[in-house]
This record gives sequence, C-alpha cells and structure tokens, in this order.
Amino acid sequence: MSTPRRGPRAALLGVTLVSLAIVAVPVLLIRPFAPQTPASLALAFTLRRWSPLVTLAALAVAVFLAVRLWNPGHRRLARIGVALAVVLTGVAAWGARQNHFEWMFAPLPGPGFVRASAAGFVAPGDMVMSVYRPGDPVAYPIRQLAYHHLVQDSVGGVPIVATY
Amino acid sequence: MWERTVQGRVLNFRLAGINNQNFIMQDRETGSWWQQVSGEAILGPLKGAKLERVFHDELTFSAWTREMTGGRVLVPAADTAWKRFSEGWEVHTAKAPVNVRTALDNRLPPRAVVFGVELSGSAKAYPLDRVLAQAPLHDRLGGLSLVLLVGPDGKSVRAFEARLDSMELELVRPMDPEAGDVVDVRTGSRWSFTGESVAGPLKGRRLKPVYVLKDYWFDWMTYHPQTAVYLLGRTE
Repeated sequence: MSTPRRGPRAALLGVTLVSLAIVAVPVLLIRPFAPQTPASLALAFTLRRWSPLVTLAALAVAVFLAVRLWNPGHRRLARIGVALAVVLTGVAAWGARQNHFEWMFAPLPGPGFVRASAAGFVAPGDMVMSVYRPGDPVAYPIRQLAYHHLVQDSVGGVPIVATY
Repeated sequence: MWERTVQGRVLNFRLAGINNQNFIMQDRETGSWWQQVSGEAILGPLKGAKLERVFHDELTFSAWTREMTGGRVLVPAADTAWKRFSEGWEVHTAKAPVNVRTALDNRLPPRAVVFGVELSGSAKAYPLDRVLAQAPLHDRLGGLSLVLLVGPDGKSVRAFEARLDSMELELVRPMDPEAGDVVDVRTGSRWSFTGESVAGPLKGRRLKPVYVLKDYWFDWMTYHPQTAVYLLGRTE
C-alpha cells in the first residue's frame, strides 16, 4: 500500500533539501569575517545566479508532488511533513530573491545633498571623501559611507559610485 | 571610488557579498561581481573589465571647507539605525576580527592604518603614525620621487610627485609652520597642502597628485601581496 508513494516522498524531500542548500551555501561562503578563495567565490556566484530559477522550478515540482501525495486519510504527521516540504521550498524560492547584504548594510537609493554651510551634521574634524570635478565639489562623510558602503551619484555629470 | 561607465554603458551597483573582508558589488545590468578595492570584475559576463578610478581625497571636513567653495555634502539617511551605527563605529570596526586567506606577516598589526600608494606597478604602505610624525615624508617608489603631506588639520594626508619639470623637489617644514605649508629647499617657494605653490619663484605651479588609499594593513596586503612597507624613522 505504501510502496507506490515512497518514490514521490523521496523526491519531495530531495527537492526541498536541494532548494534550501542552493540558497544557504552562498550565504555561508560569502559571509563576513570568513576567508574566501577564488573557488568558493565562483561557486557562490554560480549558485546565486541560478538559485532564483532553480528554486522556482523546485517549488513547482514540490507543489505537484504534494498534490499527488496529499490524502486527508493519512496520519497527521505525514500530512504535516508534506505541507512543511512545500513551505520550506517556498521559503527557499523567496530567499533566492533576497539580498541579505542589503539587510545588513542599508542601501541609499536616492542620496540627498546640502550645501556645505548647511551641513551641521558633520563636525569639523570628521573625515570626508572629497571628489572634485570643475564646478561640482562633493564631500561624502565617512560616517555615512561606512554605513552604506556604496553610494551612487553623478559628479560634474559623470556617473560614479562612492565606496568605503 | 569608481566611474560607473563601462564599455559605453552606465552600470548601477549594489552590495552582493564579501571577499576576504572587502565588499563585492554587483551591477544590475549584467549581474557581474566587482571587487570594491580594485574596481575589477571578478565573475560574470564582464569578468576582467576594470572600472576607471575617480580621484579622491580623504580629508577632514574643515580641510575640505577651507579649500572648496560651493560644494555639496551627502545628507545622512533619516533612520535611527544610522544614528546608532555612527556613534563609535570606528571603535567597533577597529575591534572587529580579521580573518582573511592572506598569510599576514608581522610587519604591522592587521588593523594598523596605512596610506597605500601604487606607482608604476610598485606598491608601498606608509603607516599613519610614521606619516604624521615625519611629514613631509619623502620616498622613492616605482622609480619616482614621492612626498606625503599632512594638512593644516594634522589629520588629512595627500601624496604628490616631488618633482617639477625635470627638477626634483625637497620639501621641508618651514621655520614658521603656518597653515601646514611646506618649503622647497632649492627655490624657497612655499607650497600649500593642495600641492600648489602659494609664494616664491614657483608661485602658481602645481605638483602632480598621487592617489593614496587609506586602508587597514590586512586589506592593503590582501590586494597588494607584493607590497613594501615604509618602516623608517620616528613614529611620533
């Protein structure tokens, strides 16, 4: 009686584990304060690149298998297991579309500027990154760059990215 | 700090990861990964491409306002997370662990602050304490004469080629150290921290600026493994 379902169950478990791994492995490889090698970076890059597509396909397969396996007459534990597999595959598909570095280091999508005389939020001894193009001197206070790490701007009409 | 135009196309960057404690940026247009410190694409369709460096200085706000008129200043984000972060981030960062694949040697502590200079393929790190103690600090790197100056605020640092036309310049602190100016021994001309001569026979002439990266020793060494270190003389 249970033999025909063993295949789909194993497949569902496999699909769930693969989609979780494809999201978790790059998070671990490129985490802060870990040493990275060219090979680990290349692996993280490949997984990050393909994980949105792969996890979406995995979710579709998981839903298909779950529908086939679903039986209200089954034990409660079996039904919870099937539902959990679909939920976890869904979490992986969502995770593959997140950039957790932007949770840790808030981006600054629309940077604002004031004239130097109005910049009361910078102390005279604070360090700034100074970029100069004729007619457009800009100061990026280090305290802000050290928080966002990356600020996009155009200086004197030239698109730049300020980094720290 | 980098220009964002590559092969005629403007790229938009976001943070994507960390490589040995240096950020990886990703461009939205191709998905390539770029190393923040080198401006080079390390993975993806644009692998091997390099961004054009934007010349910049790291100055105190007072030094910047003294030199620049009509400038603009980046406004902080209006969130409380930034306020929390910005209180004492330097102290926290200085205590953060260092864990990189580079075999660090014992020439300097990993988080010693250095001014990194690269000239004609030669890299050298000038420790902050030596620069502050010895400026104007003369050295030769990549076959060129180099001088590091400290600004009137005692904190800002710039580097220049110590040479004008075919004349090597030796810059020294004057007897009356005012506004951080220095004097060249040969002509007696006065030079300001901007690299421009403000008095004397060479008044109006400018020294060629040299790009300096203020960095932690471990980061500079990770991306410049062949670097030399300036270890001569006084530290204060």
